Amino acid sequence: MTTMEKLVLPKLGIRKLIIGMLAEHRFFGPVDDDGATLFKQIKDPAELDLTFTNSTVPPKALLFKQTETLFKFSLGRSVKIDPVDITNERTIIFGIRPCDAKSLAILDQVFKGDYEDPFYLTRRKNTVLIGLSCTQPGVNCFCTSFKDGPASSENVDVLLTDIGEKYYVEVRSDKGKHLIASMKELLRSAKAEDENNVTYVEEKAIAAITRNMNIEGMVNKLDKMFENSLWKTIAMKCLGCGVCTYLCPTCNCFDIQDETALEKGARVRVWDSCMYPEYTLQASGHNPRPERVNRIRNRVYHKFNYCPKNYGVTACVGCGRCIDNCPVNIDIIDVINKAGEAKV
Amino acid sequence: MVNLDKLRETVKEMLTREDVKYVVGYEKGTYGFRVSPSFAFIPEDVDKFIFSPLCVNNLTIYPMLEEKLPLPKDEKEDARKIGIVVKGCDSKAAVQIIQEKGMKREHVVLIGVPCTGVVNPRKIKARFSHQGKNVDVEEKNGKFVFVIDGAIHAIPKEELIFDKCKHCENPTPVLYDVLLGDEIHSTEKEDYEEVKAFEERSFGEKWDYWKKQFERCIRCYACRNVCPMCYCKKCMVDQLSPQWVRRSTNLSENAAWNIMRAYHLAGRCIGCGECERVCPMGIPLTELNKKLQKDVKQIFSYTAGLSLDKKPLLAIFSPEDPKEFIL
Repeated sequence: MTTMEKLVLPKLGIRKLIIGMLAEHRFFGPVDDDGATLFKQIKDPAELDLTFTNSTVPPKALLFKQTETLFKFSLGRSVKIDPVDITNERTIIFGIRPCDAKSLAILDQVFKGDYEDPFYLTRRKNTVLIGLSCTQPGVNCFCTSFKDGPASSENVDVLLTDIGEKYYVEVRSDKGKHLIASMKELLRSAKAEDENNVTYVEEKAIAAITRNMNIEGMVNKLDKMFENSLWKTIAMKCLGCGVCTYLCPTCNCFDIQDETALEKGARVRVWDSCMYPEYTLQASGHNPRPERVNRIRNRVYHKFNYCPKNYGVTACVGCGRCIDNCPVNIDIIDVINKAGEAKV
Repeated sequence: MVNLDKLRETVKEMLTREDVKYVVGYEKGTYGFRVSPSFAFIPEDVDKFIFSPLCVNNLTIYPMLEEKLPLPKDEKEDARKIGIVVKGCDSKAAVQIIQEKGMKREHVVLIGVPCTGVVNPRKIKARFSHQGKNVDVEEKNGKFVFVIDGAIHAIPKEELIFDKCKHCENPTPVLYDVLLGDEIHSTEKEDYEEVKAFEERSFGEKWDYWKKQFERCIRCYACRNVCPMCYCKKCMVDQLSPQWVRRSTNLSENAAWNIMRAYHLAGRCIGCGECERVCPMGIPLTELNKKLQKDVKQIFSYTAGLSLDKKPLLAIFSPEDPKEFIL
């Protein structure tokens, strides 16, 4: 880690800053798309909506795509394989929230684990994350439960925090330093007053987070309650849809399919969801997770027990998307807190 | 609205019956304006039951979600009834499913609630986006009334109500075992104004509109899973051999999925609007369903889910049916 540079960017300069970046990068940022906030590629800074709480679909979808063509092939007398060009362009994800940036650090462990995934990793290597601190956290935000914060710069290359007339700019990595180097004329050194302002903004945002998940001792607790009736209670109301998994910034399960049309086709990787019965259905017809209770319990365990054991980190960043979007109010904060209180 | 004591008393009594397995109703949710489905197995569970204009979920889905795994030898299926709290629209779903023989009438006990309209969660969230603490909403004199931090809010119903409720023809359940409160009669008529206006647009405009919507679909299938009418043992979209719809998400596959689903609901959708409510991408699915509902009504003078004496649309043959499609 390089020493952190502390700078400020007058708000009027943001347009210039972005235009400067647009020239040499594929530039993705939050866009209001008919009521849903999505990270989309933009050509003009005016397309951005920086008043968003958080995006509907997490920015993981830019690196770990919902549909990824792995290679193409043609059938017939001889099978021909056409490799797909892996996107190797310099990319910026602008406005990523600290929680979503943390989720990418978690996904990194998966995609460079036993097998290195060239698709995700190449994109990741070529992507600079410019974070934007939350000043107005959502109703179900709870990043603070994991000792992270709405202005945490740990997992981004550059972090911007809105402090009124200007953005406070923290440059956290060499990638970030390199990117900012050519834009130095837009930036000023931060003064003590700016430092006070950023602390104030962060404290205010932290105070606005009202929800809390108690994960202390959760790994051990879950070890002892696999057969607890709590899982059945939650599963009773679960519909078995994939909203929670598809909108989760750390969910990373996928399926691989060959999609053919007459003599040509492609092998694609698509998002899959452990909430679907098909997910564990075996060719024999046997399903080791036949009921919703098996599936929902697995989802909770994967995030709060297996991942902490395997990677040393809880696979939940407190973005609140699954809570906001669950059709039947299955609330992961409530689930974990109830697990904490459950008698074993 | 419903007298809460009466509701709880009725459900408690129901749970003492030997032929009732459990009752599904509503309880307070964990934040903001949410309510949650609630399951009562013993009378004590009923104390958390509520009913308010926030009770949007169509609970008729729950008997359809019952999992029937192969039973160990000598063990018999638990054939006891499931009690369900139903509003007008929800009861139509029950009627439709029973008509289709998706479940048996004697498998459910319906606790009917005459409904004066429910709050659209999207609309209230847009107005109170940072409301964390759970809020109770009541209806008083044509207004939705609630208290936040000591301040009383009274918002005219039409500003927050679901569009589907505005022209509701069946506020009183069309099928019930117990009715809580007096019947409400509606003089409203669904006029399909929006559908008609949309039909006026050019083909290109219509496609542009839906293209934009379908492109956003993430195929989480929340629309399908929340729908009481989507109870196929194997959904066509899950089939692998043959694979009707590819797993790739793109305009072509997404459109195939959404259009197939809409057609599959023709003459069956009862218009509870749950699909649109749960769509995380905000795709206006009721517009699709309503178009088919209107066509079915116009062509066959048929409305889904009204009476157990009727057969499902596709099970009726009538010599008077229009025959334009016969070449």
